[in-house]
Amino acid sequence: MDSLHTYLFVALLLFCIGLFGLLQRRSLIGMLISVELMLNAASINFLAFNRFLGPDPAVGQIMVLFIMGIAAAEAAIALSLILALYRRLRSIDIEKARELRG
Amino acid sequence: MIARDFMLFLPELTYLVAALILFFMCLPQKADHKAIYAVALALAGLGVAGALLGMGQEGHLFFDAYQVDLFSQVFKLILAVAVLLVVGICHGLAGVEDRYHADFFLFLFTCGLGMMLMVSAVELMTLYVALELSSFSLYILVPLRRGDNLDVEAGVKYLFIGITASCVMLFGMSYIFGVSHTTYLAGIMDRLPLIIQQPAAMIGLMLTLSGFFFKLAVFPFHFWAPDVYQGAANQVAAFIATASKAAAVALLIRLTALTGGTSLYFIDVLMVLCVASMTLGNLVAIVQKGIKRMLAYSSVAHAGYVLMGILTMSELGYSAAVFYSMAYMLMNFAAFGVVVMVATSGQNLAISDLAGLHKRSPLLALTLMIALFSLAGIPPTVGFTGKFLVFAGAMQQGYFWLVLVGMINATISLYYYLMVIKAAYLSESPAELPPLVVSMPLRLLNYLLIAAMVYFGVCPGGFLDLAQAAVRGMMGGD
Repeated sequence: MDSLHTYLFVALLLFCIGLFGLLQRRSLIGMLISVELMLNAASINFLAFNRFLGPDPAVGQIMVLFIMGIAAAEAAIALSLILALYRRLRSIDIEKARELRG
Repeated sequence: MIARDFMLFLPELTYLVAALILFFMCLPQKADHKAIYAVALALAGLGVAGALLGMGQEGHLFFDAYQVDLFSQVFKLILAVAVLLVVGICHGLAGVEDRYHADFFLFLFTCGLGMMLMVSAVELMTLYVALELSSFSLYILVPLRRGDNLDVEAGVKYLFIGITASCVMLFGMSYIFGVSHTTYLAGIMDRLPLIIQQPAAMIGLMLTLSGFFFKLAVFPFHFWAPDVYQGAANQVAAFIATASKAAAVALLIRLTALTGGTSLYFIDVLMVLCVASMTLGNLVAIVQKGIKRMLAYSSVAHAGYVLMGILTMSELGYSAAVFYSMAYMLMNFAAFGVVVMVATSGQNLAISDLAGLHKRSPLLALTLMIALFSLAGIPPTVGFTGKFLVFAGAMQQGYFWLVLVGMINATISLYYYLMVIKAAYLSESPAELPPLVVSMPLRLLNYLLIAAMVYFGVCPGGFLDLAQAAVRGMMGGD
């Protein structure tokens, strides 16, 4: 089990689950959670590459710390926008927000 | 030594201080929006001064994660000018509620700061943090509009498409880190050309680029553009359409230069995206009724033209892309400026609302005409010269059919640009509308824009030399 490929496979799976959830979910909170899954997939990749291949053991971990910080900021902005949308539409269903059409 | 580092970081420091000042200005309950506007304008002017002083500086900062070279400084100047221009048309700011004016300018400056950091970043994490700083500011700017529900809806869509693109980019970066064992672009550049045929390297690079394709609104990452342009306040749309595109071009050039032009497969992918962007953007723009939506689809098409310069992977192509992003900033800003000045209460304009513009304000009609001629690529405007350079770069590499598709697309685009000019010059407005009052500074701004669009069209030499020197430094020095 202690091989690079296991971790890469898990990360890829997590990324695909996140992408699928993003396209499948209609609730904005669900979509936000899916995006977080995709970010975590990238984090796992960074750590795995760092553990098995990286010459400097700190690089990948620092990357992940930054990703966590940015993900928190992202969640704050996303939640505030979702709240603003809820106040206007009384719903967080993305299907309800369809005045603008690509 | 410290003083020299401060000089290197001067443009960014100016913006950082500007953002701090604006932050304190948005704290009081009762804000004087005239004073806020004056301060923001002065700070944007200082930003341009800082960028000018920063020209010609070279060096590294922050453990080599941050590189100041001619390439980055040229783009910083373009960005600072774009911020100044956008602040220039924010007088009154009818599209945003009075109590949010200071916040609006604050996020404008943090976004400008993020973009400036982005064009100098030569390390993956720095790049990512800078990109997110500029993106997060834009996510907040879009829903700041007064009134209808469109703004929040556009904001939510922009946010979700944007964070998805950045997740994809980050995932790609992790593969690049995996195959090259380093996060520094210089180290990646040494390794990547050797292993670019490996699937992991190729996929990593493509996924990383997609984050910037999103910023530039390249097909298939373009579908946010029309909604966001329509939902955001006119000034914000102008900012997204100018500054954010220029920063994305800078990064695409830096990242594609990493491959050393060795991979044919990579160039093929870029070609497909280039042709699809041009064709789709131009064809869909024809049927648009709203002028901002039309400009959004035309921006997709222009992203295709820029990509044509980038995919040549040659010095001429890259410098053509730099020139084109400057030209695009000027002409697109001129078009958006007219939209802002005609929409006096900050509303969205349909193309038919421009009817009789030449009677209401001959100057605005003239600016719009020159800007649209320039976007369509008619000499002697800057848009023509930009397209000419990009096509010349592609021709030099023997991509004849690509240039042919570009030419056909330029002809298609002429149709919808001319429809707008027809509305402004030949159609009579159904109701008698009062003449538009354009204040003296704004008149001056219009004259300046017209002069700049014609000047850079007739004598591109000066800026082109600068762009070439910048690209040479970037390709050789990295």
